[in-house]
Amino acid sequence: MSELAFKVSGLSKSYGSKVVLDDLSFSVNINDFSVIWGKPGNGKSVLVRSIMGLERIDAGEVIVRGEDVTNKNAGSRNIGYIPQSFALFPHYSVRENIEYPLNLIKASDADKEKAVNRVAELLRIEDLLHKKPTELSGGQKQRIAIARGLVITTDVYLLDDPLVGLDFKLRERLIDDLRRTQEELKVAFIYVTSDPLEALSLAKTVLVLSKGKIVQQGSLTDVYDNPQTVQSMSALGFPEPNFVPGKISNGTFTSDIFSAQVNAPDGISDAIAGIRPEGIVIGENAKAITLEATVALVENLGSENVIYLKVKDRMLVTVISRTDEENLKIVEEAKIKISILPHAIQLFRADSEVKIGEGKHHE
Amino acid sequence: MADDFMKPRRKSGPIKLSTVGAWLVSLIFFLPIAWIIGSALKPKQYVLNFPPKWIFVPTLSNITEAISYGNTAKYFLDSVIYSFTAVALAILISFLAAYSFSRFKPAGTDFLMFLLLSSRFVPAAALVIPFFQLYNLVHLQDSFLGLILFYTMFSIPFSVWILKGFIDGVSTKFDETGFVYGASRLHVMFKLILPQLRPGLVAAFVFNIIFVWNEFLFNFQLGGIHSYGIPVGLFTSITKDGHLDWSFVASIGTIYVLPLAITIFAFQKYLLVGLTFGTVRGEV
Repeated sequence: MSELAFKVSGLSKSYGSKVVLDDLSFSVNINDFSVIWGKPGNGKSVLVRSIMGLERIDAGEVIVRGEDVTNKNAGSRNIGYIPQSFALFPHYSVRENIEYPLNLIKASDADKEKAVNRVAELLRIEDLLHKKPTELSGGQKQRIAIARGLVITTDVYLLDDPLVGLDFKLRERLIDDLRRTQEELKVAFIYVTSDPLEALSLAKTVLVLSKGKIVQQGSLTDVYDNPQTVQSMSALGFPEPNFVPGKISNGTFTSDIFSAQVNAPDGISDAIAGIRPEGIVIGENAKAITLEATVALVENLGSENVIYLKVKDRMLVTVISRTDEENLKIVEEAKIKISILPHAIQLFRADSEVKIGEGKHHE
Repeated sequence: MADDFMKPRRKSGPIKLSTVGAWLVSLIFFLPIAWIIGSALKPKQYVLNFPPKWIFVPTLSNITEAISYGNTAKYFLDSVIYSFTAVALAILISFLAAYSFSRFKPAGTDFLMFLLLSSRFVPAAALVIPFFQLYNLVHLQDSFLGLILFYTMFSIPFSVWILKGFIDGVSTKFDETGFVYGASRLHVMFKLILPQLRPGLVAAFVFNIIFVWNEFLFNFQLGGIHSYGIPVGLFTSITKDGHLDWSFVASIGTIYVLPLAITIFAFQKYLLVGLTFGTVRGEV
């Protein structure tokens, strides 16, 4: 598709007997927005620190623009970096903070002026340049940290969960800013997050990090429609998918709340069925698996309601539109019928969490 | 200072009893200093009056006389030179040590920190003879270099302790951000971390300057006629002209507390934060 910007191969890192990165490999192209998604504790921050050269790796290599930088120190890797915590220097003004990377490469005053104005305009922070970081709100600080990361001209930028802890509205806006910025600069953005909604709204390419390995890499739709592991399925979208444990025999998946015809190998006593919220619909459906459920909680998200359903002792979640008046009659404590769409069922092994099959369409 | 620590949380309404109490206690602490300053400003003939003469026309003649007497001015200047140089030097060295302890965490950091401070457990009286012999051996007696070296060493342990606490409070994210953009370690230390330690630096400075400024024993033993400071000067001139001149003593006393008073007053706003070891410090 396009030029290779960045590649790691065979990256390994352990702390004592704890393996954090396990022979991890991936590559990223120029002009791509890649999101590395992983739950906390799966090695995200160690990966970021290894890529940046802040952490010594046990094995493997890091290649930026075809150049092996594995043994180079952090400063000479030429990767734009936006850290998770803002780490704005409190003794510098906002302008001085943004200029900081340019000062280190001894850029001329004219170049600095130009570069700072460019990123200030990009992130709409022109009015803040003369202030001190202590005078700024959390979102403003984050924008300054992003500006400082973008101010150097390079083609690979690494963003380490930069929106964590910011309020929803602000995140939406910054997500917008970041997408626009990537499209304007046509460079490689590597964005690390644990938020499925952020991953969904930012990514062109998704990389799923699980237990120190990249378990799936693909386009947004590819990973969304064909998750290869339980983690991949969790990586995108909101609310989180439903996961129901059960077993498979004679082409049937059986759990405590439903059974379904599936295309999957027999004899797996520990399987997991993953169903995205949109795979569960309200009402009876001849082509689906119909269950009785009690509405436990209705969460109003504006245009949609998130419905938490109790089936026996298990909780399932689905999302319904609020524009349909019928849907508004679904209130807490109501007893309703729901249907699980068979083709929405993804099956995984419980032990390795790897995909083994999916639900069969009802004839 | 004392009343700053005891200041009750400000509430509207009448002055509370605890506030009055705090002021009273503070005044009691201040009384000896007020007495010394008062005696220095009193005309000589009133200084021993009993009951004390409270109302008088203040005069600077005692103080000008004390300054122009013998070596007073030189003692004073020498004190300023060696104490401020030694403490500044100690803080520089301590910053390097504290940064290393905080960031590299060498094996046994806690024990090493303890060892460092343990050098200050030994009573001065037990050290004075060995130091005298040592200084004799290396010919550092009665020299500024000798005194500065001694007081630098004397000031390092507490400075390292204070500064390490403050550096621990500055996130390593700042160091890493510097490294990622290509900064050297020294750049990170002096340009990114050091400026964030202002209250700690002030606390370490004030704390040690009080010690060094008031240090008598080693100045007396290791120093000499060329390097005596104001504490020795005060001691040796108490009985000038064969009798005790209280106006003179009070005048030197007044000059004596002045540099410290000015230093502490100037840095007061950092000092409160500094002496609580950064616990009331905000982070960006």
